[in-house]
Amino acid sequence: MNVLADLETEIAGAPEGLHLGPRTVDDVSRILRVATDEEIAVRVWGGGTHQRYGVEPSPGIVMTMAHLNQVETWEPDDLTLVAGAGAGVVEIENLLSTRQQSALLPEMQGSGTLGGVLATGRSSLKRARMLGTRERVLEITAVTGDGRVVRSGGRVVKNVSGYDLHRAMVGAFGSLGVIVSVCLKLWPVPPDSATIRVDDAGSALSTERPLAVLETRAGLDLFVWGTSSEVEAAVARSGGTAARGLHWPSDPVGEFRWSLRIPPASVAGAIEMVQPWDYLAVHGAGEIRLASNSVEGATEIRDWAESLGGALVLVDHPDADPPLDPWGTPPMTLAIQRRLVAEFDPARIINPNRLPGGL
Amino acid sequence: MSARDDFRRLLGTDRVLDDPLERHIYAKDASLMRGDPDLIVFPASTGEVVAIVEIANRHSIPVVPRGAGTGLTAGASPVMGGVVVSLTAMNDIEFDIPNQAAWVGPGAINLDLSRQAKQFGLHFAPDPSSQSACTIGGNLANNSGGPHCLAEGSTTSHVLGMEFVSAAGEILHVGGLAPDATGLDLRALVVGSEGTLGIATRILVRLLPLPGDVRTLLLDFSSVEAAAHTVSDVIAAGMVPAALEMMDQRMTIAVENWLGAGLPIDAAAILLAEVVGSTASVESEAETISQIGLRNGCRNVVIASDEAERNLLWKGRKSAFGAVAQLAPDYYLHDTVVPRTRLVEAMTGVYEIADRYGLTMLNVFHAGDGNLHPLIAFDSSDAAVAAKVRQAGDDIVELCLGLGGALSGEHGVGVEKRDLMSHSFSELDLDAQARVKDVFDPDHRLNPAKILPAGSRCFDFGGIRRELPEGAWV
Repeated sequence: MNVLADLETEIAGAPEGLHLGPRTVDDVSRILRVATDEEIAVRVWGGGTHQRYGVEPSPGIVMTMAHLNQVETWEPDDLTLVAGAGAGVVEIENLLSTRQQSALLPEMQGSGTLGGVLATGRSSLKRARMLGTRERVLEITAVTGDGRVVRSGGRVVKNVSGYDLHRAMVGAFGSLGVIVSVCLKLWPVPPDSATIRVDDAGSALSTERPLAVLETRAGLDLFVWGTSSEVEAAVARSGGTAARGLHWPSDPVGEFRWSLRIPPASVAGAIEMVQPWDYLAVHGAGEIRLASNSVEGATEIRDWAESLGGALVLVDHPDADPPLDPWGTPPMTLAIQRRLVAEFDPARIINPNRLPGGL
Repeated sequence: MSARDDFRRLLGTDRVLDDPLERHIYAKDASLMRGDPDLIVFPASTGEVVAIVEIANRHSIPVVPRGAGTGLTAGASPVMGGVVVSLTAMNDIEFDIPNQAAWVGPGAINLDLSRQAKQFGLHFAPDPSSQSACTIGGNLANNSGGPHCLAEGSTTSHVLGMEFVSAAGEILHVGGLAPDATGLDLRALVVGSEGTLGIATRILVRLLPLPGDVRTLLLDFSSVEAAAHTVSDVIAAGMVPAALEMMDQRMTIAVENWLGAGLPIDAAAILLAEVVGSTASVESEAETISQIGLRNGCRNVVIASDEAERNLLWKGRKSAFGAVAQLAPDYYLHDTVVPRTRLVEAMTGVYEIADRYGLTMLNVFHAGDGNLHPLIAFDSSDAAVAAKVRQAGDDIVELCLGLGGALSGEHGVGVEKRDLMSHSFSELDLDAQARVKDVFDPDHRLNPAKILPAGSRCFDFGGIRRELPEGAWV
């Protein structure tokens, strides 16, 4: 590995292996080419917050994207931003908030990165109104397993030039290439907002396009934003107790963390089903974040979710090996997915095995 | 047995056409490029689509899926011959109201979907100008837009899942009502693939609630620049209206002559803006837009006073392309995108290009998205003029790409822009796209010779150049 000696670094919290810290896109390309030639697995490291998602890759190279963290351009008047994959989600949103804008990335604290959010496909709690992360991405530059630097999309808000590979890269765990740079579509943040404790999800959802309706053990909250008069009107209509600002609930806590994905209309039923697990349900979107201290009951919940066309995905677990298949039944298009990944990561070195079906 | 016999055995004689007139009608879409289909078939079920693909595979003939044929880039023109698969008979709509969604046949008409959804207080957001004719399958294939995609996004944001028939004749499902389907999001690739990766046979679309209240504003300006500045300023002010459309004077006159919608024909440019939401929000947003317009020299602001007035304004906007028929027998409609901060430069540039070639240009476009639609009215029987029109088109693309824009905003690439893809993407980028095509359709059975220029697939795994024969379609 002498050829990569100049890129060696130490990544706090990362498992053993060769820790590399590329500083440029060319460095990423060089690392991946060597890894492909030598058939060494590369674990891509963003903020280290979702490394147990799916099956963990075997020891090999751990490549941190930390140095590719620049905001390359921000065009507030065009509502677009281009940033490196290693840029922190919190840092990006803090920067944008200085001009009352947002990238509508997941509400998170700590070290999560733009590349990590995209690779795992995690979405904002505002998704029922503002749609998921996939809809925020205008352009991605990625490096394939064999070192090709590939760009898809463009730096404009509307674009149908060619296949939307950049959208397919969202949630692909690097299997179509390691994301190095991203152009995001921004959104203006209205001047006022409120978090309203309410009783009934149905009536909360029938509010004029609510920003979010979230349910946890603590209760049900309606989130609204807009001008002061709009927000005041929404508070009055809801009849609930309101707090100014958006007070997002934190993710459920437990040794095992899950993502339950079901049709939106099945969320209320799902909350019954997942007792006694801890939960955060996104009404109107069909996403429920779950936490438990054992896997007891998981198969039952998974079977139910899959019968509705959904999934129960294991996102985090305490030991190196997951106690059950993290994904459940593989998608019926697995053969196409396998062929596609072979074109973008021929030696299958980028986060191997992370995807469903052992891909 | 010939392919024709096989198709007739499958569908009967009524649903297999091959007389010269029918072949002429189905030889092109709404673009100017003509192909020549061997025959046209009309399946009524997914099973029949599978059988059609199997027959085509057996006889090694291209399969060209087709909706209403309103496409503008020859995406549905059978330029390599083969069988045109018209999906218009597969037009059923099945609502799933609790999930605010619908399963829709590819042949269902866009406007029919929204009209039928209205009884449930819902609508389908993408609304191309052709929405009274175009199909949901065509919208999916082209990732179509429309005025109201400014706030809500293009078709890809509203397709939750689909059943499609692959090039191998398998019935596959991707996406669904549950979010974040596990594995790769193939839906993202198939939407916008112009029928080159698969044939969508059932489409699960997201429906949005009808807005509580609406304000539609018409602002008129004495210069195109002032209107373009207003658009940039509205976006910069932190607003994303539901729609923000611009029409220049030539287009306004053409529309007014045709429709009598009461548009100000002495204005150099008009803006049509729409805001939706609660009454409180639409009133304050309408006021903000008016103020920004007035600051930029807007002469007059009209707010539609009722639904009839609003509909008339939109009819004016959406009929614009039809109105051009008064000026010349043909038109060539462009579709490029620029960053919204470059709109003024882009508009100045496209007028300069029209002047340079002495062509009649009209503009009506999705200004809020930076999505230009310069339209050149001309007579295609004059070969010299037709050549100038093509050249002007290429210049417009160069101009917009030079401003940091994109080749196509919502009309697709098809054949028309295929050979310009290399102006927008590197060899490696195009190679990556060509790999996608090869994975889904290794024999290039589905809508061949579209989107990607010949020679796109030029690298092999080891970075060794793999030359393709001259003129090969990939």
